[in-house]
Amino acid sequence: MAPPFINPADPAPQIDRLPESVIEAAIAWAVKLDYNDNLTPETQQSFDRWLHADPLHALAWQRVHSLKHFKNDYRNIPSRLALDTLQALDTKRQARKLSRRNVIKLLSLGGVTVAAGWITREYTLWQRLLADVSTVVGEQKTLQLADGTLIMLNTDSAISTNFSGDRRLVILRRGEILVSTGPDAEVSTRVGQVRPFWIHTPFGMLQALGTRFVVRLDHDRARVSVQEGRVELHPNAGSVSAIVRAGESRWLTEDSTAPAAIQSFAEDDWASGVISGKNMRLADLVAELSRYRSGYIVCDERVADWRVSGIFHVKDTDQALQFLAQTQPVSVTYRTRFWVTVGPEDGNR
Amino acid sequence: MPVIKFVVQQQVHDLYSNHHSWLQRWLCRRLGNTFDAADIAQDVFMRVLTRQQPVQIQEPRAYLSSIARGLVVDHWRRRELEQVWLEILASLPEPETPSPENRLIFLEALIEIDRMLDSLRPPVRTAFLLAQLDGLTCPQIAQSLGVSLATVERYIAKALRQCYRLQFES
Repeated sequence: MAPPFINPADPAPQIDRLPESVIEAAIAWAVKLDYNDNLTPETQQSFDRWLHADPLHALAWQRVHSLKHFKNDYRNIPSRLALDTLQALDTKRQARKLSRRNVIKLLSLGGVTVAAGWITREYTLWQRLLADVSTVVGEQKTLQLADGTLIMLNTDSAISTNFSGDRRLVILRRGEILVSTGPDAEVSTRVGQVRPFWIHTPFGMLQALGTRFVVRLDHDRARVSVQEGRVELHPNAGSVSAIVRAGESRWLTEDSTAPAAIQSFAEDDWASGVISGKNMRLADLVAELSRYRSGYIVCDERVADWRVSGIFHVKDTDQALQFLAQTQPVSVTYRTRFWVTVGPEDGNR
Repeated sequence: MPVIKFVVQQQVHDLYSNHHSWLQRWLCRRLGNTFDAADIAQDVFMRVLTRQQPVQIQEPRAYLSSIARGLVVDHWRRRELEQVWLEILASLPEPETPSPENRLIFLEALIEIDRMLDSLRPPVRTAFLLAQLDGLTCPQIAQSLGVSLATVERYIAKALRQCYRLQFES
C-alpha cells in the first residue's frame, strides 16, 4: 500500500519525545494500514482525519511508518534462517540460565514457576513453526521416511529431514526420537550406493551404523541409547568420536561423550506407550510422567527417593497418577490442572 | 553547537589521557585478551565523543566503566550469536547455504535484529520478523502461528513500540 502523503512543506515540529498516547495511536494505525490487507474507504477516511488533526500526529505517523521499511537490507535475509538462528540463540541463553539454577528450587517458588512456564511454552510454539514434523505435549507420532526408515517422535518433539542430497539427514530440534532403519534401508535407489544416515543435534552429529536407537535432547546434552546395531557420536567441538553399541547408552555434549548410567526404565519403552520398571526412583518417574503433560508435576522432597515398580501409561497421565496414589502411600494433589503435587499420604504429613 | 562540540572534545581528551590505560586494563581483566580490550576501550571513547551534550562527570572511572560494561555485554552477545550462526550454517544443506559475502551481511543483520528485538518475547519477535522479512500480513501471521488475529496485532504493536523507542527515543 502506498504511504499516505505527507506534505514536506509542513515543517515537522522539533520535538523529540512525543506523548505516549500519540505514539500509541500512530502504532495502532500502522498495524491497520501497514500490516493488514483490505483497507476500507471508511478506515482510510478516519485515518486521514486523525493524521491532519494535529501536526504531532503527522510526525508520529512519519516515524512509525518509517519503521515498516527500517533497514531495508534485512529483507534479503531468509526469514527461516533468521528465526532459526535467533531460536538457537534463545535456547542457548536459556539453557545457560537454567543450568545455573536448581530447577527444583525454581519449581518451589510460585511466581518464578509461572515465568518459567511461559518461556517453555512460547519456545515450543516457535520450534513447531520451524520444524517439518513435530508433536505437542502428550502426543506421539510415527513417520516413514523415503528410504523406509521409521522415526517415532515422542512427546513435545520436532525434527526436520533432508534426504535430497547424497546423505540422509535428520535434524532433531527438540525432544526425543526413536529411529529404526529397515533391513533394506541402507541401499538407495542407485544400486550399490549407500547414503550415510546422519542425525544432527544441537550438541553434535550422530552417524547411524545400525538399526534401532533412541536420541533424547536434554538442556545441555543428548542421550543416545542403542538397541540394535551401532551409532557413532561426533561432538560439535572436539575431534574425539565414540561408538555406542547395542545395549549401551552415552551422553553427547558440546565437546565430549561419556557413558550414561543405566536407567531404571528402558529408554525405548515410551514407544510402546508406557514407562515401566522396577525400583524406579519416584522423583524420576514423576519427572518422566510430566513430560507427557502440560504444566508441572512436582515431587515432594520427602518422597523423592522412594522406590516404585510398575507400568505407567503415558497417554493418560491423570490415570497414571491415580494409579500411583492407589498403589503407593502417596497423595496426589491438584492445585490447578497444570500444577500437580505428589507428596506423602495425608497420614504421613 | 560548535562550542558544545569543543567542550565535549576537551573533556574526552582529558578522560583519554588520564584513564585510557586504566580502562584497557579493566577491560582486559574481563575479556581475557588485549585485542578485544583495546577495541572496546576505543568504542567507549567513541561513545563519549559522539555525545550531543557535555555531561558533568564526577567519577570519571565509574562513568567510563559503566559505558564499558554495556559494551562488554554487547561483545559477548555478539560472540554467542556468531557461534550459533556458524552452527546453523554448518547444519544447512548445500543448496541453502548463503554465499560467503551474504553470510557476512546476514550476520551483521542478525546482530542488529538481535539487539533491537532482544527484549521482546519470542512469539512477538517471530510475528514481527515474519511481517518485516517476509512481508506477511497480520491474518497470514495469525494463521501460521496458530493464534488469533487480535493477538498478532498486539504483537506487532508491541514490536513497533520497541523499534520506535530505539530509533527515536534513545
